[in-house]
Amino acid sequence: MKQGEFLDTVLPFKDKLYRLARRILVSNDEAEDAVQEVYLKLWKNKQSIKKYKNPEAFAVTMTKNYCLDRLKSKQAGNLKIVHSNYAHSQNVAREIEANDGVALVFKIMETLPEQQKIVLQLRDVEQYEFSEIAQLLDSNETAVRVALSRARKTVREQLIQYNNYGIS
Amino acid sequence: MELARIEQLLETYFEGDTTLQEEATLRAYFSSAEVAPHLQQYQSLFASFAKAQAESFTREIVLPKENKIASRWWVGVAASLLVAVGVFGFFNQEPSLTTEEKEALAAFEQTREAFKMISQNFNEGAEELAYLQKFNETKNKILK
Repeated sequence: MKQGEFLDTVLPFKDKLYRLARRILVSNDEAEDAVQEVYLKLWKNKQSIKKYKNPEAFAVTMTKNYCLDRLKSKQAGNLKIVHSNYAHSQNVAREIEANDGVALVFKIMETLPEQQKIVLQLRDVEQYEFSEIAQLLDSNETAVRVALSRARKTVREQLIQYNNYGIS
Repeated sequence: MELARIEQLLETYFEGDTTLQEEATLRAYFSSAEVAPHLQQYQSLFASFAKAQAESFTREIVLPKENKIASRWWVGVAASLLVAVGVFGFFNQEPSLTTEEKEALAAFEQTREAFKMISQNFNEGAEELAYLQKFNETKNKILK
């Protein structure tokens, strides 16, 4: 496979990969690094990419796995403190000074468990079908729906809590 | 879009049971200007999904040069071929000589030529001695 042909196949979904990486890793730079890394891996495996019916699904799964690995090694390493900070702040909505409702939603999304974060991203941002998400996550549709429902409800609760904070 | 329908869709949405089409309806409703006051709290939710969707990857993707990878297999073949030729040549080569040894060899050849010439001449000379032998024999017969 020539490089041009390869890029034609894989570049159309670079933004999707980036957004997914961004959701999982939060950091902009790290997400960009992750996408670059995923493309390198895809290039090395360019022979096998032809075998997949859906290169996009393959790339998304790869990105998800890579980012989760990165997160694991990050937690094991020196960034543990940052993460346990999150774990202790049960009510993020009250802590952040987010005037902007959108920024607030992003903040809340950051606190979701990884799996819910990914499901929410793939469904509400990228608008994948449940069957596609189930396949990507090596799960089933029911589990995806449950995770999605939990994620949406958590965001709603935190959002309402924040909005009512001034009043109650 | 009637409000009751939106409220019902929203409920289904939080249960994770809406279809993509229904979610599109919700997004359209919340991005419109006429959102009912009690639903306005969800506006930022759908607005952030729209915003998240607008994010794009701006960095240039760097891939290794194509030639490098494409030529990899024949580089290996070429390298092993080179080694094979080298080993073959090593075992079959003439023993190499230094200039000193070459000079010595040349001198040896020359000396051999010279000795050969001497011995030839010597043999030629020795042939003449046959007559002398005959003369001696005859002399001995006569002067017994």
